[in-house]
Amino acid sequence: MQMIKNFFKTFMLLELLKGMSVTGRYMFTRHITVEYPEERTPQSFRFRGLHAQRRYANGEERCIGCKLCEAVCPALAIKIEIAEREDGTRRTTQYDIDLTKCIFCGFCEESCPVDAIVETRVFEYHGENRGDLYYTKSMLLAHGDKHEEQIAKDRAADAKYR
Amino acid sequence: MINIEIDGKLVETERGSTVMDAARKAGVHIPHFCYHKKLSIAANCRMCLVEVEKAPKPLPACATPAAEGMKVKTHSEMAVKAQKGVMEFLLINHPLDCPICDQGGECMLQDVAMGYGGAASRYTEEKREVRPKDIGALISTQEMTRCIQCTRCVRFGQEVADLMELGMAFRTEHAEIMSFVNSTVDSELSGNMIDLCPVGALTSKPFRYTARNWELSRRRSVSPHDGLGSNLAVHIKNNKVLRVTPVENEDINECWISDKDRFSYEGLNSAERLTKPMLKQDGKWQEVEWQAALEYVANGLRQVAKGAGADQVAALATPHSTMEELYLLQKLMRGIGSDNVDFRLRQSDFSADGKLAGAPWLGMSVAELNSRDRFLIVGSFLRKDHPLLAQRIRQAVKKGAQANIVHSSDDNLLMKVANKAIVAPSDMVGLLAQILKALAAEMQASAQGVENIVVGSEAAAIAKSLASGERAAVLLGNFAQQHPQAAQIAVLAEKIAALCGVKFGYLGEAANSVGGYLAGAVPGAKGMNATQMLASPRKAYVLLNVEPELDCADPQQAMAAMQAADLVVAMSAFKHHAADYADVLLPIAPFTETSGTFVNTEGRAQSFKGAVKPLGEARPAWKVLRVLGNLLDVAGFDYDTSEAVRDEAVDTANILSSLDNHLDVALQGVAGAGAQGLQRVADVPIYAADALVRRATALQQTRDAATPCVAMRGDELQKLGVKSGDMVKVSQGNASVRLTACADDGLPAGVARVAAGHAATAELGAMFGTITVERA
Repeated sequence: MQMIKNFFKTFMLLELLKGMSVTGRYMFTRHITVEYPEERTPQSFRFRGLHAQRRYANGEERCIGCKLCEAVCPALAIKIEIAEREDGTRRTTQYDIDLTKCIFCGFCEESCPVDAIVETRVFEYHGENRGDLYYTKSMLLAHGDKHEEQIAKDRAADAKYR
Repeated sequence: MINIEIDGKLVETERGSTVMDAARKAGVHIPHFCYHKKLSIAANCRMCLVEVEKAPKPLPACATPAAEGMKVKTHSEMAVKAQKGVMEFLLINHPLDCPICDQGGECMLQDVAMGYGGAASRYTEEKREVRPKDIGALISTQEMTRCIQCTRCVRFGQEVADLMELGMAFRTEHAEIMSFVNSTVDSELSGNMIDLCPVGALTSKPFRYTARNWELSRRRSVSPHDGLGSNLAVHIKNNKVLRVTPVENEDINECWISDKDRFSYEGLNSAERLTKPMLKQDGKWQEVEWQAALEYVANGLRQVAKGAGADQVAALATPHSTMEELYLLQKLMRGIGSDNVDFRLRQSDFSADGKLAGAPWLGMSVAELNSRDRFLIVGSFLRKDHPLLAQRIRQAVKKGAQANIVHSSDDNLLMKVANKAIVAPSDMVGLLAQILKALAAEMQASAQGVENIVVGSEAAAIAKSLASGERAAVLLGNFAQQHPQAAQIAVLAEKIAALCGVKFGYLGEAANSVGGYLAGAVPGAKGMNATQMLASPRKAYVLLNVEPELDCADPQQAMAAMQAADLVVAMSAFKHHAADYADVLLPIAPFTETSGTFVNTEGRAQSFKGAVKPLGEARPAWKVLRVLGNLLDVAGFDYDTSEAVRDEAVDTANILSSLDNHLDVALQGVAGAGAQGLQRVADVPIYAADALVRRATALQQTRDAATPCVAMRGDELQKLGVKSGDMVKVSQGNASVRLTACADDGLPAGVARVAAGHAATAELGAMFGTITVERA
């Protein structure tokens, strides 16, 4: 009996039609594929991508070298050296993030008392050589300068939840 | 004893103690800021408010005397509410930006605020701001706004240092801590205020902004400077010493350390550190490998010993070296047949050698100083030579002890001095003889050898004071030990002490002044002492961390001997003038980079381990000496650890049996030498005493490190036609230097005080003797 049933199923291409009907149904529903890089998914203002160091409007770097981010970093990706600047304030002489170690947990920006280290929306970055992903202070500051407008907007959006 | 109940725990506490004392005994923590166990009670921070049953209001635990049957609740609703209220008030004017502050992470206020502070401040009005003031190179007041007016620093100055360097000016909200106008805060104990400050208002200037405290590892160590042997915590990061703080040891340094101990670490990171062995070849210095340098040294020593005789080899070491180093140095010298080894570089009288019953020491424990009721302190720049021993003596004086001073300079000792006799160095023996005679009369005893002495009023007063006491101490300072008649001084001191029925002691000059004797780093019967081996120059010298022009009793003589020698092996942590006369420079490790033992002035052996790795190719000196021993085929040089060396050198558990101040020297020449001409009185400035502090940059900017001047009585300066501040020409031996003159009417007549150990006076001759001062 079962054999006869299977024969007719095969003969009448029932499985094929079933499959085609699924295909047909999806042909007319809304597409969810994002055609990266021409198209992009929406990002949260809390997106945790490439790090940046920020400055105040007058160009002064925000970081005060308190080393809280270095202390909190679970991956030990941050390395900071500090010294006293001529004006008597503590500043970093070295601020490196090893992005190959970083796990993008966001603790560094969470711990920062002056919003100096932030994670930006930028996630497309790469290195061609070993060491390219070792970001130094100047690279982080340059990145911050480039995206300051967006960073400020994101901080403002997040402010009411903090 | 009374019984009191704290948080339900029954505690027995002494009558007259406070609730805070009882709580500490019971192990109950009461938050506090102004309370400190070593300082008086101020009760001005109000943080320690607790609930006491039947009291209508919360009471400050630190200022409330414990009473029988008292029931105290430290964490009741009422107490916590009061404490939280106080905390809110304290935080009104305190900046809430801990990440900026250097104290962040080790701040009492921060810690207590975590428990008693609110999540947010309700205070929206303007905050108080205090302008920072420059108070010298040691302490930073950059964050004085953070002060909570606990006045711990002020009380420290009044009660422990006895020099009020900081005070509270103005009232209420305008109250602020400041120094006197234009004065710096850099007395010999000032650094302790950094530890005392519960907030970040007073921070260490050299350490400021170099690291955060949670990055530092703390390693225990022992101070290599004065004879006290303070216990230190060496804070390191990345194999570098970044600061030094005290480790509490009630028997030695209590909870204090001197500024010398605290800030000398800067010398460890000095650019002058020697990091590679160097050899002088054809007049040029070349860096070489250890093997080549050591073989050169071994061959050189062997040649001198074979050619000119082993007694042409001499070894000098600083008393700041560890016992292991001193032991191996003498073992090496004796192994190659020379008996010329000494560590008492600034001593000039060695007539007691061979007549000592044991190693000279303090004669009592350091803690016993506090309970003395009479002091006779002979020849000591007490405050600057022994900052913390001076502190203990001051505490005793405050409790009623009488301090009697015999010295050649009337320094401000910051304590009430009962009697003092300020005499020229040549009269010192005579004066002690007077005291002995007067004391014998007081005690109705007889004193031999001083029958013909005429007793002056000063000596009589001192004798009277000593005779009236029960627990006196006769102490000989560095100046007395360096004196050309040191043995006579010691004999007289012993006799004086014996008449009072007390012991006499030496205030040890350096970390290992006692250890050097125990290690045997003193010449034997046929050996030469430090003076002899420089006076009759040897062919070869081995220098263990010695800078002859600064560390020796007679720099002129020392330098002449160095220049004349065929082979000078300088084992040193630093590049220094040895480059001019030495043939080999061997980089050795300072105290933080080696393990070792210091035996302090009370005979306590304190071993320590290296805190960091030696810089560059520097090596611990005991290892260098061990290899040299192997290369020279000296038997018994197969040590694996410094502990093995220590255990062979001395039985650390049984040191006291080898300490004895008795010396078998006959009393003579007490009538006075009748010195002619101007006599030199040489102190060793506190920050010039050893190689390490001489390179500590912050200490070198303090008042105590200023270029020495020639101090003389005002009337004597006038006779020379010189005003205070003028340049004068100072000549001694065959050299002269130009120094500023300054008037000091505290000096005896016929005396010029010219410091030793400083580059500006290094060309001069012996620390004692005649000196000429003339108009430049």
